[in-house]
Amino acid sequence: MSVAETSPKDRLRLSADIGGTFTDIAGFDEATGELRLGKTLTTPSRLADGIQTGVEKAGAHFNEASLLLHGTTVAINTILERKGARCALLITQGFRDIYEIGRINRPEAYNLFFQKHEPLIERALRFEIRERMDAHGRVLIKLDEEQVKQAVAAAKAAGVQAIAVLFLHSYKNPQHEKRAKQLIEQDHPELYVTASHELSQEYREFERTSTVAANAYVGPRVKTYLEDLRARIGERGFGGSFLIVQSNGGLFDVEEAKRSCIRMLESGPAAGVIGAKALCDSIGLRNAIAFDMGGTTAKAGVIHQGHVLMTGGSLIGGYATGLPVQIPMIDIQEVGTGGGSIARAGPAGALRVGPESAGAEPGPVCYGLGGIEPTVTDANLVLGRLGADRFLGGEMKLDLEGARVALEQKIAKPLGLDLTQAADGIIRVVTTRMSHVVRWVTTERGLDAADFALIAYGGAGPLHAVSVAREIGIAKVLIPRAPGHFSAVGMLVADLRRDFVTTWFKPLASADFKELLQLYGEMERNGTDSVRQSKIALQGIVLTRYADMRYVGQEHAVTVELPLSLFETADREGIKRRFDEVHAQRYGFSSPDEKAEIVSLRSAVSGIMPKPPFERIEQGDAKPSPQAAVGERPVYFKEALDYVRTPIFLRSALRAGDVIAGPALIEEHASTTVIHPGDRLEVDAFGNLGIEIRRS
Amino acid sequence: MSEALAYQVGTQPRREVDPVTTEIVRNCLIAATEEMKTILMRTAYNMIIYEALDFTVGLFDAEGNTLSIGIGLPMFIRGMSETVKAKIRHYGLARMKPGDILLTNDAYITGSHLNHMTFSVPIFHDGIVVGFSCCMAHWPDVGGTLHGLTTDIYAEGLQMPIVKAYREGQPNEDVFDIIRMNVRLPDRAMGDLRAQIAAVRAGERRFLEMIEKYGRDQVVGSLAAIMDQSEAIARERVREIPDGVYEAESFMDDDGVSIGKRIPIRVRVEVRGERMTVDLSDVAAQVAGFYNSGYTAGLSCCQVAFKCLTSPLDLPINDGQFRAIDVILPPGKVVSAVRPSAMRMWMLFPMTVIDTIFKALAPAIQNKVIAGHHADLVVTRVSGRRPEDNSLFLFSGLIGGGWGAKHDSDGRCATVAINDGDTHNSPAEQIEAKFPLLVERYALRQDSGGAGEHRGGLGTEQIVQARSQIRFHAQIDRVKCRPWGLFGGVAGFGNAVAIHRFGEKEQQFNNGKAFNIVLEAGDAYIKRSGGGGGFGSPLDRDAAVVADDVIQGYVSKDAAEKNYGVAFLPGTTNVDPSATAARRAEMRAKGLPVDDPVPDEQAAKPHGHVHHHHEQEVMSDEERLVIAMSGRCCS
Repeated sequence: MSVAETSPKDRLRLSADIGGTFTDIAGFDEATGELRLGKTLTTPSRLADGIQTGVEKAGAHFNEASLLLHGTTVAINTILERKGARCALLITQGFRDIYEIGRINRPEAYNLFFQKHEPLIERALRFEIRERMDAHGRVLIKLDEEQVKQAVAAAKAAGVQAIAVLFLHSYKNPQHEKRAKQLIEQDHPELYVTASHELSQEYREFERTSTVAANAYVGPRVKTYLEDLRARIGERGFGGSFLIVQSNGGLFDVEEAKRSCIRMLESGPAAGVIGAKALCDSIGLRNAIAFDMGGTTAKAGVIHQGHVLMTGGSLIGGYATGLPVQIPMIDIQEVGTGGGSIARAGPAGALRVGPESAGAEPGPVCYGLGGIEPTVTDANLVLGRLGADRFLGGEMKLDLEGARVALEQKIAKPLGLDLTQAADGIIRVVTTRMSHVVRWVTTERGLDAADFALIAYGGAGPLHAVSVAREIGIAKVLIPRAPGHFSAVGMLVADLRRDFVTTWFKPLASADFKELLQLYGEMERNGTDSVRQSKIALQGIVLTRYADMRYVGQEHAVTVELPLSLFETADREGIKRRFDEVHAQRYGFSSPDEKAEIVSLRSAVSGIMPKPPFERIEQGDAKPSPQAAVGERPVYFKEALDYVRTPIFLRSALRAGDVIAGPALIEEHASTTVIHPGDRLEVDAFGNLGIEIRRS
Repeated sequence: MSEALAYQVGTQPRREVDPVTTEIVRNCLIAATEEMKTILMRTAYNMIIYEALDFTVGLFDAEGNTLSIGIGLPMFIRGMSETVKAKIRHYGLARMKPGDILLTNDAYITGSHLNHMTFSVPIFHDGIVVGFSCCMAHWPDVGGTLHGLTTDIYAEGLQMPIVKAYREGQPNEDVFDIIRMNVRLPDRAMGDLRAQIAAVRAGERRFLEMIEKYGRDQVVGSLAAIMDQSEAIARERVREIPDGVYEAESFMDDDGVSIGKRIPIRVRVEVRGERMTVDLSDVAAQVAGFYNSGYTAGLSCCQVAFKCLTSPLDLPINDGQFRAIDVILPPGKVVSAVRPSAMRMWMLFPMTVIDTIFKALAPAIQNKVIAGHHADLVVTRVSGRRPEDNSLFLFSGLIGGGWGAKHDSDGRCATVAINDGDTHNSPAEQIEAKFPLLVERYALRQDSGGAGEHRGGLGTEQIVQARSQIRFHAQIDRVKCRPWGLFGGVAGFGNAVAIHRFGEKEQQFNNGKAFNIVLEAGDAYIKRSGGGGGFGSPLDRDAAVVADDVIQGYVSKDAAEKNYGVAFLPGTTNVDPSATAARRAEMRAKGLPVDDPVPDEQAAKPHGHVHHHHEQEVMSDEERLVIAMSGRCCS
């Protein structure tokens, strides 16, 4: 369907990003390119009501919409809050404790009171099944079907709602897992059944167990949630396609989402990175870091040479005690610094900021809701970066005096600093910590952050982006439109996507190309079928191939994108060269004379959705209109070592081509952009703020 | 004068540095060591580095004091600093040049075994050494015997004195040739070497960036302030410990040479105000078998225990933390051994030294300490040739074991011993893909956690089948001298090792030592890690919690009745409250359960159970395998 043919009735593309506090709605009018936004408090018991309120706030109606794209924290919160289903695990004999044993590591090496991950399935509900494959996928012991039935009967008697199945080496041969699942579903159609190979075809039995167990654990609740939500928006007139955002930033059909709930764990943050990528595409930018700063954390993802960088899994709940989920997802690194992060004067004159956060309640001291610990937001207020009477468009008055007193008494006095030094010090410390995570996502891959632009969003992103960029030598910062709704906007420009991984240990020199192509072909067929299932009119399907490779003898593999052309000519040397290049870039050295081997094959299948261009804003000239200049206030800048009279501009009144020299503040409803002295802002045709950072 | 060149952190008059810069520098140090760690892990060639994280990276001041270490191996908390100091003594700063990379694996310097190849880069700024960037990583092979027990260092492989692996940026090919000729897997070794070089160079780069950005005086002043802050935290914690002299004793099973001869570990801790002194003078003398470690390791024992008790989560790990602890340790002890004592299993005894320090301090700080843990990595070494291409393989797997209970909670199950930290075990799917081995079972050991009001964590059992001929070695300890309980808690199970030959009985190795055992296809080796000790009397454990332990299978019904005095309603796992109260009263009166963490030296009889016998000649390989496994784990 092209844009011109869109009928007025279904010309609206809607997205709903439901977070813990806010539900963000973005609507995209395919006929006019107009972007509409709505923000409303999340209504936990009646989520559909929240979406409807948000849609109304955005001035839209369900019955105009052809698409509803949805990101939600329901899956991850189910795990973090331990509110999932009672479930059972069927697992290869001899291995029921692997879920509890895990990888035996103790990251807090000197903490005698360390904790371990807590399995989602108790030991009494982990049943061992007689069966065995070897590492080649050959059957050593046949599946004992009778034992499967007995175990399921026992699990049913214990009241389980869901069953996870993990058999060793199922990544190589899923036959036993498939059969067991079939047996369970035959006898118990009411159970939610999930087998590990459906989610991950990579080796590492603990990680796969944890993945499939988590899917079983969240499955019944998420399935009900999705069905309920679809029914309710249907009642309210929505007749279009309902798609869900996955942690890989792609969309998938709600039917698939119900089977692989675990794929949507990080849908909100992933959508932000996808939005950043779309922004890059729209202005021809190849390299950017997506920087998202909210109340408790700052997150960074990377777009390199036009591609979003991915990872093979993550730990839900943190490194020390988290539960691994082994599925491809956007690689997003996080640091515990947000607007609500608390500053403290530590022993012997130390200044520490975060990771404790004042959250939304009581929140920073200046919210006046009972918070007594000074936070990053309080420091921003004291320094004049936030206006006491302009927060959330003036809806919320901030207590400047309270913030000052708290900073003076809890930070400045104990550390022997004056108030400004204390507030500025807090900002500099969080800037350093955030700059490390931003730099980390690039240096970890051997990339230089200075070659990237910084795209900043989230409530606090625009306040700190310029400082972070200057810290690591980034020359360009972009603040997209609607930075406070950016994940919802990102969903609007996502594509359908399926990712597959197949573990395939093979020396490159002797890898059989026929087999290789067969394996890729199978993943690509599955992916193509899957994206077609959604019945969305697609502009095309894009296949991307990757291989996880390493030098023979190494363990950690690097993911190498392999252009399809290399396969047409069976170009073994070409693949080796690609790997050497990636290794050299990532680690600073390569060994062209060493043999390489393949560990896993990866395939990404994207169903490209039509994406009409974003609305352009009104063209202006270099000088902002008088309506945009709404006043000035003193703001502290480290560069000036003093407070500087700083003009304030209203973002909504800026026009394309407007140029503003720093220092300046750009205010909008849910965030403020800080431009430092010497930096230069130019508004682009789509209303993005492009900031050039002066080289210091 | 070399000293004139050094920018000395410790002795320089402290400049006033602002707390903001200090905090920024602190964060930069942590980030730099994290980056070094990642580079090493991601590029290393051997599983011991990338899975077991048997390495340490770090930044040091110009005198070799630790500024920040990123540590995979907590017990190496002193190893690198002492090695840098030895290198400074050896060359003097004057004979170091920009671009030099210094190497050694001298066991009596690092305090550990020869596998620990340690590289250091002197960091020059404006022609002055401002610090060192270092990396130790465990190489899987450094030559030496593959089989059996060693009794001196010469049998353990290549000894590399302090040398320059790079001179002013140029590789010293002579050194590389010596390495290549002396190790069994030279390609792997050179791969690990490259990874280590990349790591130390990254550390150097970040250190210099920091100086460029904030200025040398500010950075050096901040480093001093960071150490002062760490010191202040540690001192405050020591002050909270009541003054006094605290002593404890424990035992190792034997040294592998004098079988069954217990080795005493006696520690004396004195707390006076803000200072703690640990006296290891009464720890056993160095031993004949390869369980010795050097003076550096003895210091590490004390510092690890000290950090656990005073500032477990304080980062970066730096020498300021340890200014409030003194150690008395004469040479020639089993943790201060001198040349040419054998060191290959250096890591084993120090773990018990650490636990014994906790035991000594238990009466003073009940809420900070932990009961005994399994205190062994339960490492076995397997070597063989792959049937498909006759290539040599070496595999040393480790497993998690039980940790001691604490005043407020149960011990953790299946976690790596205190020598290691963020060490991962190897997935069975990976082991089976790489080696001709089959993991039949990896499971918790029921009842292995010591009974207590808070139960000790459970140990694990791993059964691994050889699919072609292999040689197998185990050098495990604390089989007999089991992880002790505290305050009425009972000892956990000890560690254990056994083999099971196809169609025969399980054969136990009474002292955990098994050398050069040849296993044929279908035979299996079995490792069992001990459980943690309990805390408080098991008769005070909530009976409902004991019942849940029984339902989950952590504790057998039998043990629940015998050790915890819980009575169940007939045929159920429901607690009978009145019978339980009666039984517990009776047990209390009799002084039960009796704890006996250190049995006398008489070796227990091997026990084993009969396995199925089958006609071998008519079986296919697959049938053999199924039957072999059925006999061990699927009955």
